[in-house]
Amino acid sequence: MKIRVLAVLLAVVAVTSAMPVLAHHSFAAEFDATKPVNLTGVVTKVEWMNPHTYFYIDVKDPETGKVTSWACEMGSPNGLTRQGWNRNTLHVGMVVTMNGTRAKDGSSKANARDVLVDGKKLGAASSEGVTP
Amino acid sequence: MRNRFSFRFLILVIAVAFLLTATMVTLLAAQQGQAPGQGNAQANAAGGQGGAGRGRGAPNPLVKEPAPRLPDGTINFGRVPGEKGMWNLPYIQNMGSAQYVVGAPQPARGAGGGGRAGAAGGGQIGGGEGGAARGGGQRGGAPSEPWVPFQPWAAAFYNYNSLNNSKYDPEGYCLPPGGPRLYATPYPMEIIQQPELKRVVMIFEGGTHVWREIHMDARPHPKAETIKGETWLGHSVGHWEGDALVVDIVGFNEGTWLDYYGHPHTSQLHVIEKFTRPNKGTLHYEATFDDPGAYTKPWSVTWDIPWNATGELQEYICQENNSYLNGLTDDFGQPIIGK
Repeated sequence: MKIRVLAVLLAVVAVTSAMPVLAHHSFAAEFDATKPVNLTGVVTKVEWMNPHTYFYIDVKDPETGKVTSWACEMGSPNGLTRQGWNRNTLHVGMVVTMNGTRAKDGSSKANARDVLVDGKKLGAASSEGVTP
Repeated sequence: MRNRFSFRFLILVIAVAFLLTATMVTLLAAQQGQAPGQGNAQANAAGGQGGAGRGRGAPNPLVKEPAPRLPDGTINFGRVPGEKGMWNLPYIQNMGSAQYVVGAPQPARGAGGGGRAGAAGGGQIGGGEGGAARGGGQRGGAPSEPWVPFQPWAAAFYNYNSLNNSKYDPEGYCLPPGGPRLYATPYPMEIIQQPELKRVVMIFEGGTHVWREIHMDARPHPKAETIKGETWLGHSVGHWEGDALVVDIVGFNEGTWLDYYGHPHTSQLHVIEKFTRPNKGTLHYEATFDDPGAYTKPWSVTWDIPWNATGELQEYICQENNSYLNGLTDDFGQPIIGK
């Protein structure tokens, strides 16, 4: 329990010390910087589009086994390209892990700060966080 | 058509909400003697951090090289033959932050403050970011920026935008940044000088993939009542003062904000910009806002923009799939656009 609290605190610190890099919409109006999220799931769809690229993952709850589909927002293709992405970096069926921030409205939507793809951590050109 | 209608509706909603909240905010501020939005800023934990003006990445060695010049001796604000390059515009969310406002007290360095957008980190986008969001207390509204000469309505408008985290930012709707915000939107840009055509063209990857033309032929501004008199980017006429490119802009419409945080302006806005390239790695930018419709006197901002010697512009079309708007609701819980 203590570890979980610590993890959340660390995540909050990480999130709040981050600086927006790429802008488009009002990050703060859509996402809650105090709600960090870490998800691992199977990619079901990729939308390589302006002004935000989205990928969708099926995430299984380890306790209940329930599968939830999450929409994960990244930066625009130009920003992602400069972070080392290309159109084929993500494809349906692969398992990825993302770090990011939950939507304010509590829906299964998140803004990705970075994504672990094939063992490689890539910045997601987020409108919120510093991307490595 | 529906979008156009919705946008008009949006403006109406903003106006109504503005009137309602402006009074509330002002009253609250007077009552509590504190900055509107302060509690909000603290609650989202992103507020009030000292603004370290970080230039990420390695120091840019180009700052030690002289600025290039064109064959006629004019400073070259662009590439030199055989090389790539572009200006890595920083992400400046709040131009009213002390670190950008000329004459504002500068936060002490090392105490979590200070540092304008640096000319460091020429490699990465936003490499010279100045940390505007972190300086001077985030979302403190107008009371946190005593050096910005707000008129009362402009302060109330700004406070409203502070309280709702810039939900109605026009740029979030893929409308272009107007005026100096072009240089505070973190996608790169290039400057192309055409002295033989008496013009300078600036092309921006971001915003909405816009360009601007600066007339260098000493033409007058169009009269305000002409159709060309009010535009998103205004009408720009430039001239040289030594090595500085000085640009005079008028004719703005009222569709844009000065920055992401929501400093307003009116169509009376007159901007004077000064571009200099003190070395190969740095574009120094200064702008004066003279808007008697929104501010009691002119005020100026300044920052540095680093040169990315290996960069090239890419495509960015904001309008493609702006699904952000689909889930957006107004202050009355109603969808703003779509649905």
